[in-house]
This record gives sequence, structure tokens and C-alpha cells, in this order.
Amino acid sequence: MESRVLKPMLAVYVVAFILFLYGPFFVLGILSFQQGPDGGPQFPITEWSTYWYRQIFGLTPPSRIAPLPVGEALVRSLILAFMTMVTSTVLGVMSAQAFRRKFRGSGFVFYLIVLGMMVPGVLTGLGTSLLANNVFEITRHWYTTAFATHVAYTFPFAFLVMLAILNRFDSSVEEAAWSLGVSPWKTFRKVTFPLIFPGVLSAMLFAFTLSFDEFPRSLFAAGGTEDQTLPLAIYGTFSVEIHPNIFAFGVLTTLFSFALLSVYGILMGLSVRRARKLAMQEEIA
Amino acid sequence: MWHCHITAEGRMTTQTAIFRIDGVTKSYGGVKALDSVTLEAGVNEYLSLLGPSGSGKTTLLRVIAGFEVPDSGRVFFQGRDITNLPAHERGIGFVFQNFALFPHLTVRQNIAFGMANGAVLVSSEETAHRTQTIIDMVGLTGMEDRGVDQISGGQRQRVALARTLVMQPKLVLLDEPLGALDANLRGRMRNELRAIRERMGVTFLHVTGSETEALAMGDSVVVLDRGRIIQRGAPDDVYSTPASPDVAHFLNRFNMFEGTLSGGTFTGAFGSVVAAKVTRAPRDVYAIRYDRLRVSPLSASATGPGLKATYIANEYLGSSVMNFFETADGKVVEVEHHLSLGAPETFEPRQDYLLTWAPEQAIVFGREGK
Amino acid sequence: MSDATVAAKRQGPSWLILPGIVWMALFMVVPIAMICYVSFWTQTTFNISSTPTLASWKQFFSSDTYTGALWTTVRIWLIVLATTFIIGYPTALFVGLFVKSKTLSTVLLVVCVIPFWTSFLIRVLAWRPMLGKEGAINIILLKLHIISQPIEVLLFTELSVIIGMTQIYCVFMVGPIAFMLGRIDRNIIEAARDLGAGFGRIFWKIIFPLSLPGVVVGAIFVSVMGLGEFATSGALSGRKVNLLGNIIVTQVGSLKWAMASVTGVILTVFMGMVIAAFLRIVDLKQEL
Repeated sequence: MESRVLKPMLAVYVVAFILFLYGPFFVLGILSFQQGPDGGPQFPITEWSTYWYRQIFGLTPPSRIAPLPVGEALVRSLILAFMTMVTSTVLGVMSAQAFRRKFRGSGFVFYLIVLGMMVPGVLTGLGTSLLANNVFEITRHWYTTAFATHVAYTFPFAFLVMLAILNRFDSSVEEAAWSLGVSPWKTFRKVTFPLIFPGVLSAMLFAFTLSFDEFPRSLFAAGGTEDQTLPLAIYGTFSVEIHPNIFAFGVLTTLFSFALLSVYGILMGLSVRRARKLAMQEEIA
Repeated sequence: MWHCHITAEGRMTTQTAIFRIDGVTKSYGGVKALDSVTLEAGVNEYLSLLGPSGSGKTTLLRVIAGFEVPDSGRVFFQGRDITNLPAHERGIGFVFQNFALFPHLTVRQNIAFGMANGAVLVSSEETAHRTQTIIDMVGLTGMEDRGVDQISGGQRQRVALARTLVMQPKLVLLDEPLGALDANLRGRMRNELRAIRERMGVTFLHVTGSETEALAMGDSVVVLDRGRIIQRGAPDDVYSTPASPDVAHFLNRFNMFEGTLSGGTFTGAFGSVVAAKVTRAPRDVYAIRYDRLRVSPLSASATGPGLKATYIANEYLGSSVMNFFETADGKVVEVEHHLSLGAPETFEPRQDYLLTWAPEQAIVFGREGK
Repeated sequence: MSDATVAAKRQGPSWLILPGIVWMALFMVVPIAMICYVSFWTQTTFNISSTPTLASWKQFFSSDTYTGALWTTVRIWLIVLATTFIIGYPTALFVGLFVKSKTLSTVLLVVCVIPFWTSFLIRVLAWRPMLGKEGAINIILLKLHIISQPIEVLLFTELSVIIGMTQIYCVFMVGPIAFMLGRIDRNIIEAARDLGAGFGRIFWKIIFPLSLPGVVVGAIFVSVMGLGEFATSGALSGRKVNLLGNIIVTQVGSLKWAMASVTGVILTVFMGMVIAAFLRIVDLKQEL
């Protein structure tokens, strides 16, 4: 390849690309230190301060700018993401496990599940709220209707991750366990599950992240203000005026995400030893 | 020695048989992997199952183990019909070619796995005791707490075996258990496998694609081809009197010549020879074991049949030398010289020689046979 | 087949798939069917009844606002598809093909994914102080004396929506393409080079065709997310750009469920055609 010319050019391009990706965050980070409560969400910085961060934690005296209504919304979002994560991972593992054997209509079922990640959230959200209002005549809540649509969205991701993992799984270790008199369910718990655990972790991570940040489905499928998830609370500030407090909040959520990623990284690291053993086992095969 | 032909004496042998499969057929997408196979093995017997790849031998093991359900036919174990019994309720051991050890567990945990997680409750003291006993027996002492990726291939093989034997099964199925080992280790493990089996008194059903392994290890050898059993007998019987040209071919010990058998006389590349005894077969084949051929100079006067052939090369096999000759029609003939019979002769490459043999030592197959 | 089902029961119980099927049917298929059904309902000012009518459909196609939204959606979708591809492909080429160290390419991919750890809405919002009249871009360009007057078309226009969507979605192009490029056997490229082929020829004859499945998968991602958009257009266009998604949101906001449903059906049909067309090019199940 014409490395001398092309490669450096592409390298420069990639740097520009990363600047494009990160530019807005950079600006957001700077503006989150805008002076408060009078500084606006734009340049120039009138004075550097941590006012907006303190405001989020309720450490500032009341002012004309109301603090972000995020406290309870954050708790709701965390619970919802956790519920979604558990449900969709369980469904994903079950379905992928079923896909290890060919069954009639497996192609159709595959696309039925995968469609869940392809249908825009506005549509499932709208449809679910129509059903809830006009057919079942139930009140929409973040923990009922919104939860159902969240799982319908994240379950396909968990399913695909588990399918990829189980495709490469050597089932002779399971057969070996059966031949030792261990029941299929116990074999799953003691052999299969520990070996696919890294995949399960990825599936959980996917589901949690997607649900935590899910917005269009919640917008339609969750109910009123007492049902606001975090993205809904942020969206609520869109329509009114925006203040640097939302930028400060963005910085904080990013940090929170990093913390979550680190936990995931540590858990992954712990199961790496296991994965390496599995790789060794496959080498013999 | 125990003999096959069960259907006739079925009732009688059932008492000594540990397992029996009866007319088992299994197809995959229209291809018959097993075609109405009937087979049984006695208590405390070592049965070798020889067959080329695709002969259905692994499928047969998997049916007995309960990993596959036959399309038709029954499977009996200890006098009980287990055809529809799930694998984990059968109590039949299985040793995999790739060992299939639990990669996330240590040597000890691997071996104790069945006792710790099985339906039959085993006290932790007994589990510990039995685990340690078997560890000592297979020679893994000192390795107990290693991960299974920290031990050698031969040790992994022992873990696989110990894990199965510690459950005290009456029948152990071994699917090419030595296939993943190198040649050196394979030889040693063969002896060990025999010794361990004798000590435990269990029945082994050992599937292999290697004729030497099958002949060396089994009390009895079963030859499988295209989903059917084509011969069963003691190793020396199978070796000296293969039941068909196919068996002779799998044994990899015979020079096979095509020709025509007519009125008790076989006519082939070496001329016409009277066949003393003919084994019935769908085609006419004249087979001479590698070590039954003698090499003489062209000038020698042959008393029996003779075949002119050009010497190509030789190969040392340790206990014997294999000499390769080529006949006028391009067929390679192998002549084995056992070193126990004296030093090997040396032959001139590209030189013609006369290969001779005693006609009564040849095995003749043909449509005329009985 | 009867014995095969016995085996299935024993080894990979097929009932395991049932909860998944039921969930998807109940919370995806039925809701979408419901949208189709409601699109034929009768809408009064604040109410809706199940008397069938084509009124909402007629209204959709006779109103410039609605048909305009359809065309805007198609236009912006096509533009964003093009920009994400143009911007993403060279990056993918570098990450997937030119970077020889596995670690570096992983690091680069992780760097691309990190922004996704910030809330989608905040990522959209972050473009406002970037693009505004007193935004970062205008300040920098003024400082560098490239412009003398701040550019005003940057924010609250179709352009700002396109910029925002491109930034948010281009990583979905980069990932799959880089993955496919990474799978190319380097020996093929070396062999072609030994035969005297220039990079341009190698690219068009070998590299690009082999990366095509990645492009299609990326295009599916971008289409799926872009076609259902309403937040980016809402936040960055100052309500000047109306996509089908925005129509649905505003219609629901004013309790016009029937019209929202008509828009939803149109979006579904269009989406289905786009996905079906892409899946015709690439078998998703095989690429796994």
C-alpha cells in the first residue's frame, strides 16, 4: 500500500474525525463552568465557576433558574435500566440457547427478534400508548408500558451478543457433564453459564446503556410527570430555555458512564482468566 | 472368548451382556449414519470399534450415550430399555476425543464434578476420598489444584478418564481418546488404558480409526463401514481372516490384487493360482499380508506364484522394515520384514525382483466363495 | 421428525424461544398493528372513535405540511446516509486496514464509542453552543480572520440538523466497515500489489467490494435511527425542520392520535422498504 502518502493523510483525517466527534463535548465541558446563575449557555465565559455543579446537588441558594428536575428521574432511570437489563439478558440467553438447535421457523423468529432493534422508537412507543389507552385502558407507567417497550428494544441486542457467543461454544463440555450424571439445568448453571459469562456481561452492559439513555419509547409509553425518566427530564428542559446546568449535568453523566464502564472492565478482567482457559481448551480440539 | 451373533443366542447372552443395541438406525438429512446396527458387549470387556471416518462409529457411541436418539431400534443397558432415557440418567461414561474438560475448574474440581453435582448424593468426605484415590491411580498426584490449561495433553487425557471412572460406571464409551495425543504418548496411554480398565473391571467401548490401536487394545474388534457392522471377532481372528475385502482394506495390512476367480482358480497380475479356500464376497480379490511376501532375485526359480516388481524404497517402522515395490501395471506392493526374523536384506533401487508367497497364506475373496 | 423432536427436548429445549416470541409479538408486532388500525379511526377534536374512515389518510396527502415532512425526512435521510458514509469510510479504512497493531485499532474504536456514554439528548444539545451565532465555530473563525461576520446559517437550519445527525450517527458507519476491512486477508492485497496494481485499482477491485457488507450494515443502522428521528431536528432546527417523527410527536401532543398513526404507518412502510432493500444485499444472519 502507498503507505508513505496515504497512511499519514488518513491519520490526519482520523484526528480531524475525532475532533469532530469530541468538539461539542469539549465546548460543553467548558461551558459547564460558566458563571451562575446569570451566565448563559454560550460564549464568552463571563467568569469560571462551579455554580452549575453545585446547583445540581442543591448546594446553591434558590434563584430564578430552577434546578434540573433530575433527582427522582435518575432513580427511576436506574431502576428501569436495571429491570430492562435483567429481563432482556434472561430472554436473550434463553432465545440464543434455543437457537443452538435448528427448529422450524427459526429464520422467521430470528428476524422477528432482530426487528426490535430496527423499528424506530417513535413507532413502538406510539403503538404501545395507543394499545394502553384504547384497548387495555390502563394507565401508562415507566415500570409497565415503558419497561415492555424498552425490553423489546434491548432484548435483540442481548440476543445477538449471546448468539455470537453460543455459536462458538463447544457443546461437548455440556455432554461431558450429562455423561457424569449431571442434569441439563445443573449443567447449564455449573458449566455453560460460567463459560458464557463474559458474553452475558456484554449483553447486560448493552441492555443497561440502551435503556438508561432510551428516549422516544419512554416519551410515548411512560405516563405523566411523575413517570419521567432521566432523558424525559432533560427533554423537558429543551422546550424551555437551556442553562449551563444541563451542560454540567452532561459532564456528570459522562463521568458516571465511565464509572460504569470501569466496573464492567474490572468484571471482564476477572473473567478473562476463564476465557483464556476456554481458548486453551479449544486449541486442543 | 465371547462371540457375537446375538439374535440367535440373544436370550442366553443377555445375562452377561452389559449393553445391547438392537437394529439401531440413525439418518442425518437422508444419509444413514447407522443402518440397522445390532451389537452387544459383555461385562468387563474391552471392545474396539474400528471404522474409517464417516462409518458411523461416533454416531453409534452418541446413541449409546444418549446424546442422539435413534430413528428406530432400541438401546438396552443392564437389561433395561434406555432408548428414551436422557443422557444424564443413563450412568454411562463418555471420554471425548478433545477431552472436553471443564476449562473453568481445576483438576480436582473436574474429577469431583459428577459427584458434586449429580443426582446421586455423595457425601463430601466420600467425594474427597474417591477423588483422591482416582487421582493417585491415574498418576495425577500433585496436580490437583492446577487449572486444566496448566497440564500437558497426556495429563488432560488422564483427567478426562478419571472424571469418568470416578463415577464408577459399568460402561465407558471412548471416542478416539488417543486421537489428540502425539504418537509417543499414544503408545504409553494405550497400555495405561488397558491396565486401568482391568483394575476397575468396567466395559470399554473404544472407537478408533486406527487399525493398530483397534487390534492392540480390544478383547474383541468390531469393524464398522457405512453404518453397518461388517465383522466382529477377536483381534487375531480379524487380522488373519478378514471377513471381506473392505475389512482387509481397513486393516491396512494386505496387498490386494484385483482379478477373476473361476472354478477355484484366481487369475491376476501374477498369473493363475489355485485358491484352496474362498471367502464369499461381492467382488473377486486376492489378498496377501505384507509380511507373507518374500523377495527373491529375478533369476530364482519360483515354486509357487510369483510377481515381478521394481524396488522403489523402504521405510523403517521400528520393529520392522517396509519395502515398497511397483509392478508393471503401476500398483505399489508392500513387503514387511520383521526385524525379529533377522537383519533386513538390502535391495537395489529401480531393480526388478520376484515377489513370491505360499498360496495357502493368501486370502481369496470371490463370488464363488461360501 | 417425531424422534427429532424428542432429541430437541433433550438437548436445546425449543420452548426456550417462546418467551422471546411472545414478548416481541406483544410489545412490537401488536403495537405496530395497532398503529395501522388506529390510522383508520375517526378523529374529533379531542376524541377518537373506532368508526372506520379514510379521513386522516386523505388529510395527510392533501396537506403540504405532512407531505412536506415526508419529503424532508427522505431528503435528510439520504443526505445523512451520504455524509456519514463519506466521513466514516476513510476513518474505517485507517482503523480497519492501515493500522497494523490490534491494540491501536481497538483503542481508536473505543475512542469513537466513548461519546455514546453521554446522554443522546445532551450530545444533541452540545451542538448549540458549537454552532450558534456566538458559538465556538464562529468565534474560532472570527479569531482566525477567515470570516468577518458570524455565519448565521449554522444553527436552527436544516444544515445544523444534518451536522448534528452526521456526528451522532457516523460511528455506526465506521464500526461495521472497519470490522469488514479488518477481516480482509492482507495476502490478497499484497498479491495484487505484486502483480503491479496501484492502490486505486486495488481499492476499487478488492477492498471496496469486500467492505460492502459493512457499508450496508452501517447504512441500516443510520437509516433505522435517522428515519425515526425527531429530537435532533427539534433541538437544532428551532422547529423549522419537521420530520415524520416530529409530526407524530406534535400530533400526539395535541391528541390527534389518528393523524399520528397515519404518519406512523407511512414511516413504517418506508422503513420496511429501506430495510428490506438493504437486507437483500446482505444476509444479516450470515454476517454474524
